[in-house]
Amino acid sequence: MILRSVELESFGKFRGQTVEFRRGVNLVIGPNEAGKSTLAEAVPAVLFGTDRLERFKPWGRNSCSAALIFEGQGRRVQVKRNLITDEVELLEKDDLYHTLSQFSGKVPLRGRSASCREYLALLDSLLGVADESLFKATYFFGHHPQEWSGEELSQKLRTLVSGSAETDYAEILDDLLDEHFQLTRSNPWGRDKQRDREYEELCQQLAQQDGTEEAVPIFVELDASADIEAQIEKLVGEFENDRQEHEKGLRYIEQVRQQKVESSESTVSTEAKVLPEDKKISTSDVARPDDVARPDDAPPPDDVSLSEQLLAAGLPKNPPRELPELLSGAANIRQELAAMQQPFSFLNNREKKIPKVPWGALIGISVALAAGAAIAWLQNFYFLQLLLGAGVCSALLLGWGGWLHVSRNKALAECRKERSRLDQKKLEVQKRQAELSERCEALGLPSSAIDLVRLQKMVDVHRDLLARWWKQDNAPEEDIESPHVESVGSHNTAGDYDNTASDHDAITSDHDAIDSDEEDSADEKRSINVEETDQELLELESLLAEFEAGLKEKESRLQELRLQLNDLSTARRSKGGNPGTVQHQRKYELEERIAVLRKAVNLLAGAVDEFGRSHLVQLNNETSKLFRKITNGRYPAIKLDENMAPSIQVDERRWMPVEQLSRGTVDALYLTLRIALAKVRDDGRTLPLMLDDPFVHLDQKRLAATLNLLDLASADGQLILFSHNLDLGKRAARERWHVVPLDGDAVNTTSDEGGDHAGQLHLL
Amino acid sequence: MTRLLGSAHIKTLAREESVRGVLVRMVIEQAEDADSDEMVLLEKALQLLLTRFQALEGNAS
Repeated sequence: MILRSVELESFGKFRGQTVEFRRGVNLVIGPNEAGKSTLAEAVPAVLFGTDRLERFKPWGRNSCSAALIFEGQGRRVQVKRNLITDEVELLEKDDLYHTLSQFSGKVPLRGRSASCREYLALLDSLLGVADESLFKATYFFGHHPQEWSGEELSQKLRTLVSGSAETDYAEILDDLLDEHFQLTRSNPWGRDKQRDREYEELCQQLAQQDGTEEAVPIFVELDASADIEAQIEKLVGEFENDRQEHEKGLRYIEQVRQQKVESSESTVSTEAKVLPEDKKISTSDVARPDDVARPDDAPPPDDVSLSEQLLAAGLPKNPPRELPELLSGAANIRQELAAMQQPFSFLNNREKKIPKVPWGALIGISVALAAGAAIAWLQNFYFLQLLLGAGVCSALLLGWGGWLHVSRNKALAECRKERSRLDQKKLEVQKRQAELSERCEALGLPSSAIDLVRLQKMVDVHRDLLARWWKQDNAPEEDIESPHVESVGSHNTAGDYDNTASDHDAITSDHDAIDSDEEDSADEKRSINVEETDQELLELESLLAEFEAGLKEKESRLQELRLQLNDLSTARRSKGGNPGTVQHQRKYELEERIAVLRKAVNLLAGAVDEFGRSHLVQLNNETSKLFRKITNGRYPAIKLDENMAPSIQVDERRWMPVEQLSRGTVDALYLTLRIALAKVRDDGRTLPLMLDDPFVHLDQKRLAATLNLLDLASADGQLILFSHNLDLGKRAARERWHVVPLDGDAVNTTSDEGGDHAGQLHLL
Repeated sequence: MTRLLGSAHIKTLAREESVRGVLVRMVIEQAEDADSDEMVLLEKALQLLLTRFQALEGNAS
């Protein structure tokens, strides 16, 4: 939006006058006391109100009002304010003069009423700014001190990025820290202060009174409880996941057991069925190897396709050839991970057993010995002997403490080394596991450990079916032996089954031989399956037992943490919840205040860091670009550090702080920083930039470059310059800027008949 | 106290591209996971900070 006009009904020295502006650069030119600053300050005064009414109220009159008209995006917004009563009228209309929104009510500066909130919300939605300080910090370039030091410039910039016109966040931070350290010497951000403050003194007084209070700041416990709460939250999540996995595992083991029972029952019934027929079995009755291995619920091969059989058997519809290799890898990884639990547990126990150094007791004894020696000196009672004895004892005790400390550190370092080695190993295994999971997922296979164990079992049971599937696929046959099968021995006859199956149709003439072979292999296979199932059950049960142990450990840790938290909150209530005397009450107030101050400091420091991360790079880039233009490439870049202290790049490797630069350069830098800041904050609802004589210290060359830059900056928006410099007037004529001349007595405005070019003609 | 974080003023401040705006956004974010004690502490800290911002402005003007 651009500021189309300012209607000054009764404002400062202006009466019933209208000043019009246009898009691009506008120059308000006039001598001192002509009303330039008054005109500039009319904008925030009308938008937000003012607490300097006396400055704007015309002498001898009881009215002070003005209106602003903004235009843009097919809308026209008029804001009119009576500065004495703070009555505001806001009217938004479209191109066809239809009213889009309107407001009428009393809105004093920093008012908190419902109407104030309504007005500011409307202003925010229309102009993008709802705060006087932010408006001034962003769009206003006022006069500034004549002498800039580096720190002053940094302070000014901190103020600008703070979000208000006059507040430096570093100052607030310092104030908060000062107040904090007036209350307590405890320092959560560094070393504690040496001298006790009010809080510690109060704690000591209370300790002397009833001997129960400890001079330990309560907020230390608060921090500890926050840590414990976080640990509990994390552990509860892990515990819940593990519990679910454990239940899944239990269900799966139960399923395997059932299958084993069913399989053994079917074996007995088959044997009973075959034996009475005295081996006279026709070709059609011969059980093919895959039929033997097929579970009871699988449909016969003649009726359903192979892929459906696979599905019915609980296998993937299209099992990849890498399946056995993947399952074997997964089994290895499971074994490795299970094997790693023991060293970790051993290491934890070892760390717990390393003794701590009783420094408190040692120092206490040494102090007591020194006190004894001092008393002996006072009483003149074998002073030298006692002093010597006390010194030797203290030295021995402290030496022993030191030795313990060194041993402890050494043991801890060994544990750390071992832990890091184990962690590294675990990481490698987990990495392999993740890769394997990725491969499984890519092949459309399940990736969880439980599912893979289940799949392993299915593959073991239905490997003939799989062999047929892969054979049907006309690809070279692969070994589908499971790792369990391998471990059983090399007598597995899967290959034989396949051969038998493939040659089955071709050998119908030799029934007896084939029958005999196939029966033998079926029997052998049944016995192997039973063995495999047993072995797998054993393995699974041992894995589950380890898992259960881990689960119990987590549960006990959770209980321990909950108890700790309970103790802390009980202690906190007993200390803070019972005001008792005035001193107790004061202690409680101090603790609360200190906690609030710490939180405030942490929040503000965090916000400054976050702002630095999110905005500083952009601000640096934008400023560097503009500053390079202003200085005609002499200084290629500028850099703001986290304290907003700028440095200027003077050559490829050298950066110079601004203190060493001329005042003109610093002024130019400030100007570019302001423009860059406005750009960085711009959210598309650009308001006019208003510059009140910012070029006082710029030389002709730099002034020209700056004006070029401003010209460019205003290309998409509006720039209103207030100046007494007549040279600017000449440039305005050349550049066809819009000119609003002011003189000391009256205002020569463009009024409503001049249009966009009236200002130029007037100056010419 | 719980009214502060839900107020229109805070919502307006949270839109600012300034340290103050980032601060308010951080507090709102932390308040989402805070329990009642932490919430009270957050609001008190925010109130203190905003008062300091306001107070310094008042002194300066």
